[in-house]
Parts: sequence; C-alpha cells; structure tokens
Amino acid sequence: VIVAALVVPFVVGALLIALRAELSGRLAAGVGAAAMTVSLVLYALVWEGKEAVSGEIDQSWIEPFDARLHLGVTALSWPFLLMTALVGVLCCLWLVADDTAPVLVGLVLIISAASLGVFSSLDLLLFFVFFELALIPMWFVIAWFGGSSLAGQGREARVAATRFLLFTVAGSALLLVGIVIISIDGGSLQAGGAYTPSLAAAVLVCLGFAVKTPLVPLHTWLPDAHSKAPTVGSVLLAAVFLKLGTYGLLFFMPMLGRFSEVAPYLAVAGAVGIVWSGFACYAQDDLKRLIAYSSIGHMGFVVIALSTQTQVGVAAAVFGSIAHGLITGMLFFVAGSLKDRFGTTSMALIGRGLYGRTPWLAVAFVFAAVASLGLPGLAGFWGEVLSLRAIYEVGVLGKPVAWTALVLAVLGIALTTAYFVRAIRLLGQGEPVPQDADRDLVRREIVVLGLLAAGVLALGLVPGPLLDLYGPLLEVLGS
Amino acid sequence: MNIPIDWSTVAPAVIILAGALIGLLVDAFYPRRTWLGSGLPSSIALVGAGVAACVYRDDLGRFSFALLAIIVLGTLFVVVASNIMNFENAMPPGEYHFLLLSAAAGAAMMVVSRDLVTLVVSLELLSLPSIALVGLRQGDKNAIRSAWTFFLASVVSTAITLMGISLLYGVTGSLDYLVIRKALVEPTVPQSVVSVAVLLTLIGLLFKLGAVPFHVWVPDAYTGSSVMVAGFLSTVSKAASLGALLVLVLVALPAAYDTWQPLLAVVAAATMTVGNLGALRQSDAIGMLAWSSVAQAGFLIAPAAALLTLEGLTAPVQYLAVYAVANLVAFAALSVMLRLRGSTSFDELRGLVRTDPWMGIPLAFATLTLAGFPPAVIGLVTKYVVMRPIIEDGVIWLAVVMGVNIMLGLAFYVRFIVVLCDRPDGEPYVSPSPPVSVRIAKTTVLLGTAALLAMSVWPNLILTHLP
Repeated sequence: VIVAALVVPFVVGALLIALRAELSGRLAAGVGAAAMTVSLVLYALVWEGKEAVSGEIDQSWIEPFDARLHLGVTALSWPFLLMTALVGVLCCLWLVADDTAPVLVGLVLIISAASLGVFSSLDLLLFFVFFELALIPMWFVIAWFGGSSLAGQGREARVAATRFLLFTVAGSALLLVGIVIISIDGGSLQAGGAYTPSLAAAVLVCLGFAVKTPLVPLHTWLPDAHSKAPTVGSVLLAAVFLKLGTYGLLFFMPMLGRFSEVAPYLAVAGAVGIVWSGFACYAQDDLKRLIAYSSIGHMGFVVIALSTQTQVGVAAAVFGSIAHGLITGMLFFVAGSLKDRFGTTSMALIGRGLYGRTPWLAVAFVFAAVASLGLPGLAGFWGEVLSLRAIYEVGVLGKPVAWTALVLAVLGIALTTAYFVRAIRLLGQGEPVPQDADRDLVRREIVVLGLLAAGVLALGLVPGPLLDLYGPLLEVLGS
Repeated sequence: MNIPIDWSTVAPAVIILAGALIGLLVDAFYPRRTWLGSGLPSSIALVGAGVAACVYRDDLGRFSFALLAIIVLGTLFVVVASNIMNFENAMPPGEYHFLLLSAAAGAAMMVVSRDLVTLVVSLELLSLPSIALVGLRQGDKNAIRSAWTFFLASVVSTAITLMGISLLYGVTGSLDYLVIRKALVEPTVPQSVVSVAVLLTLIGLLFKLGAVPFHVWVPDAYTGSSVMVAGFLSTVSKAASLGALLVLVLVALPAAYDTWQPLLAVVAAATMTVGNLGALRQSDAIGMLAWSSVAQAGFLIAPAAALLTLEGLTAPVQYLAVYAVANLVAFAALSVMLRLRGSTSFDELRGLVRTDPWMGIPLAFATLTLAGFPPAVIGLVTKYVVMRPIIEDGVIWLAVVMGVNIMLGLAFYVRFIVVLCDRPDGEPYVSPSPPVSVRIAKTTVLLGTAALLAMSVWPNLILTHLP
C-alpha cells in the first residue's frame, strides 16, 4: 500500500513533465491533485495503531551492506505523512489556473513524493536517497518559477536556489558520513536495530539536520530561498522541507548514543534563533521574508523541545512541526494571493486597510497570523506551550541551559506577538487606500485557505488525538 | 634475475596486442581510410581478450579479473564509440587503433603484474601510445602541445618511479612482490630508505592517476586530444594505474603501511578538493569533465588509505566500475555533440535535453551519476561504498572532506545539468555527418546509459558480483 502511495505521485509527476506540451495547466494541476489525494487517502487508511509499524514492507535491496527496501508508517511518521500529503494536495489545487506550467505541477508532485518517501523510510540509506531526491527538483522550482517578472529577478532566484542547494547538500553529505558511522558501529542500517556510541556520528548527524531545520547560524539560505520561490515552492519549503530536518532529528535521536552531549548546543542554537528571528522579522517590509524568518523561530521551539529528549518534548516537537506546517503554509498561500494581485509582497507597496479592500483575504491573513503567534484555541498554541513545558522538565539538557533557553523562548514569544501585530496593523488596519488590483478571494483560494484554516482550528481545539500518539494526554500535561 | 612468464595471466594482453598489429596491417594493405577496416579486428581482439580473461578467471583472481573486465570493456566502448571520427581526414584509423590497443594491452598487463619490472614495462606500454594518441590529430597545434606536456611530465614521473624501484631492489634484493613483502618485515631493513623508496615508487603511479600535485597535465591533455581519447585516458588508463597501485601497496608493501597510508589520505583529500575547485571555473563541458575526473581520482584513492580492511580493496573497484561507465557515456555523448555541432561549450549545449533528448538525457544521467545524486542511485551508493572502509579504519576527517567535496562537486555538476535542461537559444546548428557512424556512437551512449539505469534500479547487480 505504501509503495502505491509513493509510486502514484512519482509516476504522475514524471508523466506530467514528459507530456508538458500536450496538457493545459488546469488539467495538469487537477491530475496532480487527484494523485496526491490518492496518496493521502492511502496513508490515512494504512494506519494500524500506534504500537505497530503499519503497512511494513521489508525487502532485500543491496546485500553486501544489508541495505533494505524497508518502508513503514510509525506513530512518529504518520502525522508528518498526512501533513505532507495534504500540503501536496493543496499545492496542486492552488495551481488549478490557466497560466500554470504543467512542469511545475510535475515537480511539486515529485518533491512531495520524495518527502513522503523520507517519512516512510525505515532504512537509513533509503532515507538518504529520498532525502536527496527532492533537492534538484526544488532547485528548478525556485530558479525557474521563482522571482517575479521584473527584470533581474530571475538571476536572484537562481542565486537563492543555488545557495539553498549547496547548503542542504553540504548538510546531507555530513549526514551521509554520520550514517556510515552508524551502520558500521551498529552493524545495521535499519531504524530500531542501529545504534552508535560515537560522538562524531552524533555531531555530524545533528549538523546535517541543523542546516535543513534550520538552526542559527546555518539558516542563511532560508530567507532568500523562501522569498524568491514561487508560492507553492515557499509552501513546500516551509511546510515540508523544514520538517525533514526536525523529523530527521527525531528519527535519528534514538540511534545516537551521545545525542545528549550535542543537545545543549542544539537547544541554545534554537533559543538564539527564536530571538534573532524575532528581531529580524520586526525589521522586515517584505511579507514573504517576514514569514520565512518567523519559520526559523518556530523551528527553534521545535528543536528546543526535542533536544530535551523527554516524552513531552517529542510530543511538542511533532505537534509544533505539524502546526507550523499548516500555519506557515497558510501564511505563504496568503502571501501568494497578495503577490498575484499586487505583483509584490512589500507591505508598504500593498498599502493599508485590507479589511476594507479585500475583507476575506484580510481575514485569512489575520487568522493565520494569530495562529502563528500562538493564540490559544489554534494549533500554534499547543506547540509552544508543550515546548515550554518540555524545557521546564529540563530533560538531558541540564538546568543552566534549560533555564536560559526558557527565558529566551519566552522573550521570543513576546517578540513574535509584536511583529505579527505590526504586520497586521500595516496590512489590515488603517484607512483603506483602494488600488486597482483589489480583488477578494477566488474559488481555488477559498478552498485551499479554508481547508488549512479548518485544520488549524481542529488541531487547536482537539489536540488530543495527535498527542495521544505519544502517551495519553493526561500523562503529558499532568505529572 | 629470472622472471617466469605466466601465460594465463598475460593472455588477454597478448591477444589485445595481436589485434593491434592486425589492425595496423589491414590498414597498411587496404588503405581506404575507413574506420571499420581496422576497427573491426580491434573489436574482435578485445572480445577475444575478454573471453580469455573469463577462461583464466580462476588463475587471475577475482580482483585482477574485475579490473581486466573494466579495462577490456572500457576499451571496447572507446573503440566502438570512436566510429564517430570516421571520415575525419585528420584522424588516421590504422594508427589510431594500433596505439589505442597497445595502450590497452599495457593497461591489461599492469593490473596483473606482480613484480616491479613488469610494472614499469607495462606502465611504459600504457604511457607512450597514450602520448602519441593525444598528439595524433594531424595539423592540430593544440594536440601537439598537449602531447608534449604529457610526454615531459610522464617521463619525469617514470624516472622518479624507477629511482624508487631501484632503491626497493637495493634494500630487499628482489623485484618480486611477495619476496619484497617478506624482506621488508626483517628488522635489519633500514626504515628511512624504505620510506623514501615507497614514496618515490608511488609518485609515478599517482602521476598516471592524475592525483594532486601531479594533476596539471590532465586538463591540458584531455582538452587537447580528441574526445574519445580523453575518455580512454580518464577511464582505462586510470583503472590500470589504480589497480597497479592497490596491488603494489597491498601485496608488496604492507610493512610500510605507516609511510603510504597518510600519504595516500592527504593526496586523496587534496586531489578531490583541487579537482572540484578547478571544475567550478570551466565553461566547456570537456574541460569540466577533465577537472571532474581529477576530483574523482581523489575518491578512488581515498579508500586505498584504508586498504588493509577487506572492503578497502573492493570499494575502489566498485567505484571505479561505475565511474568508468558514467564517464565513458559522458565523453561519448560529448564526442557526438562535438561532431554534430562543432563545439562542447555550455552555450552550445544549452537545452540539449529538449532539442535532442536521446543525447541530452544520457548526458544528464551520467553527470548525476558522477555527482552521486538520485535518481542515479548507483552513484550515491558507490559514494557510500567508498566511505565505509575509510570510516571503519577511523579516518573520519577524510570522510568529512569527502562529504564537503560531494557538495563542491554538485555545484558544477548541477550547473551543467541546468544548462542541459534550460531553454535553448534558437535553433542549434547541426552539421552534416555520416549518419551510420553517428548512429553507432549514439547506440553506445544509449547502451551505457541503460547499464547505469539498470545498476541504479538493482545496485545488487554490480555490488555483489564485482570482487
């Protein structure tokens, strides 16, 4: 079943690229959305409960070093899989328009499928193959379809794409070295069987994922890549690619015997990232860059949570990742809508008073923004609260580090509130200055944003089912 | 000094040499200047050599057999793909095939040699025809210049190697690998002399591999010679030198481990870094491949630094096999493009995947294999394979350098792939060419790509069957 869920988007994606001349953009996007829906449904149906590895497939692949085609859905990966498939569907729906290039849809499908492959791999080498597979298509998405039509922007998009690619490949090359160490020490490439007492492996793997997540100071590829990418590219980068980093850390954590020695550095980097990104956001005029920087902050919370290695920490990390995927995805879609209308995402150029000019678009933006700053009742809230709870438990971090991180994180929450309120004030409120391009949401935008908003609301009001995967709810919040 | 001849091990080389002579004679007596006249006997001789290698498989040993297979198949690929030069007046077919097969015979002897004299003789048998091949194109000043550089560098390095060998002979009193091995563990052997001797001997082989700091001739020779000759130099010649190097240090010099292990590790790290940095600046596909093959030599040498583990021996051979196929495909595709369009600069190749998918996609796939990036899974898996022994041996810094170099390498490989996928500027110029020979060369490209694809889908194919 998992194989089908992976193969369908891959094949459809490749076909769309091969048949690009014969298809209209609208049809291609429809086909793409259908393919991703198939995948989403299959992943939803395969679930057999949190104790079991669902839909497991285990076949020999490369015998000399016992790499296997080992796929399966675990309690850890299931939320990520559903979120990725959902985002894939939404990206395709978003592209249901006449001016869509079928190639873009194909690339989106391949990227989504590769990410799904990462989340379902239980073999380290297979994990790595999928991990790398998504990168080059992403380069094309950013470089070819990114930037705006203004002269000179195409070149900037290329530079941003190349920087993104080189940063992530440098990270994943270190990860590969780490995987080799694990496989030699543990004598196995299978998740669950492999284990290494080596410090070098822990450092290399963490560095590799720190680039992807990203953690300060390895984040410099992110703002440019996100802001230059086309809307679906930004959404995929934020909602899916960054999750490859956090999922990777969660996935490899049990295999690294000396993770606890690296954890404090991760936590501090995460905490610094929260504050740093807060200040950076406050100074942004470009909405897409603002969202990109805010991602660094949210990922900081996730990394702090998981670096405690406690049960609450894991739950917080997963919840934070999923919530960030939905919320930031929504924010980028809104930014995309603005860009479609005004040709820019500069808040000064778009002007004030969107409440009066395009009410529903403004509502969507404000909804996503307050969800992102952690309003109780919406998804972002639980991620942050649980993170703070996890730091409070200290875990493997040690008191001084944990409390420093806690203080910085709380400061970060305040900053997040400040910069989102500023953005809302700059865009939503104020005297409306009507422009020619003012146009409220069209049907595809309503569908996409509505689904995401429903998801955010559902996770916020009923966080139980997701948290139950990592121990009963009461146990997580009580004790 | 009596060296017995073991016919079962030299049989492939002898058959190849016989083919070379026949090819030359056919061309001399029926001088019609067409390619098949001497190409056909050459191909038959290579097939015969392959059969001989299979027959004597047990006498050769798995390791030598694998290297021989790479050499014979690689040369066969070059011979067939060279059909693209048919009717090119500047290229004399008889001489071309004679020199090519002589060099191949030298390569085939090099990997089975188990004493130092045979090593030097076969090294020369490989080098001298190679130099002539580089300068063979008539009336091409660049080619002559490249050949001269190659010649001078080659002679110097051979001289240095001879010096090292004579020192080794002086210390141990023998030229046979096994005797040297026993002699070197005696406590009476002067260690400092042994170190110097090992160092000098290895320099010659590292030179042939194009390792830093002896790499300067590589880009010059590759860009100056005709494309398929560059393909030959970058695969067959490299396979031979690597095989000889591995056998030499493993069989004859394990006692001097402390001398060659750090040497090879540093050389490997420097080679891949310098090669990749050089490739970054290229704007011509052949220049890029030339520098990239310098970098790849680093990846080939790296596992030799951990040779005493069992995987240290198989890993470089597996890497070499995949590298050889990918590189030959790339060079053959480029030789077709050179013939059709008159240039292999990036501007000329822009949009090749769209205008000519049957050449563009193989070229892109071969490049991905060299970069070690999915969907060319086999490239990634072999990178993993060469890293394993290094880490098992505890040389983690070298593995990290390799990681950084994978990133550096990707920088220019991706640039090339992007050029291939980009939108072409206008209609490309296509020159009239003899259709049959182009078709033959294209077929070899497609066959090679099919092999790469098959290996990507079933990496087991190659990883369990090579030594």
